[in-house]
Amino acid sequence: MRLSAYTMQGVMLATAGILLLLVGLPLIYIVLQAIFPDLSRGSWAQPFSVFMPTLKDPELAHLLGNTLKLGLAVVLGSALLAIPLGALRALAKVPGAAIWDVVFLVPFLIPPYIAALAWMMSLQNRGYLQQLLGFNADAFLFSFWGIAFVMVLNVFPVVYFAISRTLMAVGGRYASVGRVCGAGPWRSFFRISLPLSIPGMAASLLLVFVLTIEEFGTPATLGAQSGYFVLVTGIHERFSDWPLDIPGASVLSLLLVILAMAAFYFQHWLVTRRSYISVTGKPSAIEQIELGRLKWPVFMLFMLVAFISVAVPILAVLATALSSTLSGGLSWSNLSLRHFEALFDNRAGALQALSTSLGLATGAALLTGILGALIGYLVVRAQVKGHKLLDFLSLLPNAMPGIVIAVGLILAWNQTHWPIQVYNTSAMLLLAYTCLLLPYPVRYASASFRQMSENLEAAARVCGAGFIQMFIRVLLPALSPALIVAMLLVFAIASRELVASLMVAPAGLTTVSTFVFGQFEQGSPGLGMAMSVVAIFSTTFLLLVLTLLGRRRLSGEY
Amino acid sequence: MNTKQLLASAVLSITLAASAQAQSLTVYSAGPESLINHLAQDFTAQSGIAVNVFQGTTGQVMARLEAEQANPIADILISASWDSAIALKARGDLLEHVSPNAVQVPEYLKDTHYVAQGVSALAMVWNKNSQVDMPKDWSDLAQPAYNNEVTMPDPAQSGAAFQLLTGLLASQGEDATWSLMQQLKDNNMIVPGPNARALNPVLQGAKSVVFGAVDYISLGQQADGEAIEVVFPESGTVIAPRPMMIFKSTKSPDQAKAFIDFVLSDAGQERVAQSYLMPARTDIPALRPTLTELNLIQYDEAQYETRREDILQSFRAIFGQSN
Repeated sequence: MRLSAYTMQGVMLATAGILLLLVGLPLIYIVLQAIFPDLSRGSWAQPFSVFMPTLKDPELAHLLGNTLKLGLAVVLGSALLAIPLGALRALAKVPGAAIWDVVFLVPFLIPPYIAALAWMMSLQNRGYLQQLLGFNADAFLFSFWGIAFVMVLNVFPVVYFAISRTLMAVGGRYASVGRVCGAGPWRSFFRISLPLSIPGMAASLLLVFVLTIEEFGTPATLGAQSGYFVLVTGIHERFSDWPLDIPGASVLSLLLVILAMAAFYFQHWLVTRRSYISVTGKPSAIEQIELGRLKWPVFMLFMLVAFISVAVPILAVLATALSSTLSGGLSWSNLSLRHFEALFDNRAGALQALSTSLGLATGAALLTGILGALIGYLVVRAQVKGHKLLDFLSLLPNAMPGIVIAVGLILAWNQTHWPIQVYNTSAMLLLAYTCLLLPYPVRYASASFRQMSENLEAAARVCGAGFIQMFIRVLLPALSPALIVAMLLVFAIASRELVASLMVAPAGLTTVSTFVFGQFEQGSPGLGMAMSVVAIFSTTFLLLVLTLLGRRRLSGEY
Repeated sequence: MNTKQLLASAVLSITLAASAQAQSLTVYSAGPESLINHLAQDFTAQSGIAVNVFQGTTGQVMARLEAEQANPIADILISASWDSAIALKARGDLLEHVSPNAVQVPEYLKDTHYVAQGVSALAMVWNKNSQVDMPKDWSDLAQPAYNNEVTMPDPAQSGAAFQLLTGLLASQGEDATWSLMQQLKDNNMIVPGPNARALNPVLQGAKSVVFGAVDYISLGQQADGEAIEVVFPESGTVIAPRPMMIFKSTKSPDQAKAFIDFVLSDAGQERVAQSYLMPARTDIPALRPTLTELNLIQYDEAQYETRREDILQSFRAIFGQSN
């Protein structure tokens, strides 16, 4: 036992070291850069000289205001759209219930910037909508509400799944108590289920807020045309348009981190405040309301939402990819496979981009999976010093937008004093993805460890297994169902990540997202969309296969 | 093998793979992507030297160079803005190289430290399927007929668009140019970003004309079947030569010089011509109207570079962020 404690302390230190390197370092460099404006030139002169000018800049208040306004609008829109849908899904017998759960996962797999481009192609003046139906929504699309609309369609599933899961858990157990005591179905919904699910609902809406203020693709695509700029686009502009303003970008990054952190900790507080509500428990059999005459109108509502959020963007992407020329519009004579031919002909390195992204996403999934399992264990079980710090560091990236991580990584690694060259290698991308996505496996793993009995470990140790053997042979297999889900999520997000990839990809390396973005900037939207089609369908297919395989294997073992 | 070792070996193998390429060249290039990819491949096939390319807009490329000042990565820069070469030379960042292949390059397209790869011109791009007539001159686009139909690349993000602005300031006068800009703004012209951002809406027909598009992208798309027309305005336009230069910080000066020589060789210049740019060498035929056929605005560009911030400020004041 004592030996094992030493090993554990060693593992703990090693993990903490890796976390500091991965998460702490970029953040420290951003803070330093914000304080010392000439740091990127290797000078410590004039500390704090940029702080006040940047903070006093009227543009900052403008960017901050726009960011908050957009965040709130998307939260509101997601709530209006997803809460009724989620509640219906949980409490009523909706036709095709299981199918909707799969369909509403698809918006996660359409990268937001591609969805934004697809909406642009569809709604703008003389876009697909006008070509088909004779009218357009140009003025709406390129406005504040247009940006909010597109973003709501990207993120509303977060709220939908949270609401339906929470209500199923609370609605089942607690509502049936209410029913036993004589309350009607509506009364037990409004007096019991709804109040009890408010923390979960609020938490998911705060998550939507954080996701919105961090999102780059949609505001960058639609915002430029409507003149709506937010903090993220402000940071990107300061960091990628000549003349550069690296100190200014760092100050804005810090501001964004503080904003996201505040929202995230408010959410954390909400979720943990009422620990006696078990929303993580298994959804028990719940008596769902018969919809009766409302059955088909409800079905149509689900159809409509699915059509707008899933079918429209995918059809627009397909239409663009299959059009020979963009000016040719929607007509049979304009139908062509030439963009796909160009893609498989490896024009502009399309195939390398695809394999780079798949490789990096696999690497990130493995790295975050291993780290997540270790951290989850150390945080939940280890009686060693510093596990709180570990917990904090591993969840910190939740409050660090991709663009901030990218800026931090560049500042940190683009220095001559490192013994090995990390900057300008693909390791930068791996670092960025791993840092960005680490919280998912950590959260899944720690939740899983909390449900696991400690007897398993005790038994392993009694049988003479050391820590590492016990971890690999006993804990990891028991953990794997949750961990695999988290790793799949990491894979899906990493394989299409845009903003960090744009900023830290080394010379000569293209990922799927930078390829698509680049084709649009080069004036070849058809090729870009053909790549999007391949990327969306291949990740969906891969995830489907992996999930099915995983489920079969796991259900066989347990 | 524990996780620490696993991680360490993963990181190590990546860095090893990266350092194995240390003998290669790194080229930062502002579009077109297919051109630089072809040039890199041809050069590698001929010399055996691997070439890593970072491709972006001039703004992105310059930004990356500046971010990397403490630890330079690039050996060669191919920019879309002549001014950037002048500025970098003045700062003492460039390596002198007069290529033997540059003999046929006109004097005003070369210097001791930089030389043009090719030349583009600024034009109006008009969608043939649109409801508006083909414009003939810049000022046409301020007419009511073009209300809500015009886009322009952002001069802050496109070196060529900035050049056009200075050309107009020189040829039409300061007041006339800013008043034209104001009229365009009143006519609801949008400024959505670098070149392709301004061009994409015109392709699908959301807008009908680009004010000041880089011509080679559109000429290429036209050849590719898009229903667009590239119009060179009657009152004249400006050219945007694309300078190539070698950084003093390069660790492989000989290979870098060989690359510049290759781009100026017959094979290299033919590649340039294929992307609908004018080759820098006058003895290589172009697939498009060349310098002698275009009505060019002649002016002293250097004096405008020092005013860059002011000019962009004035432009932003007109087209600045609304709402």
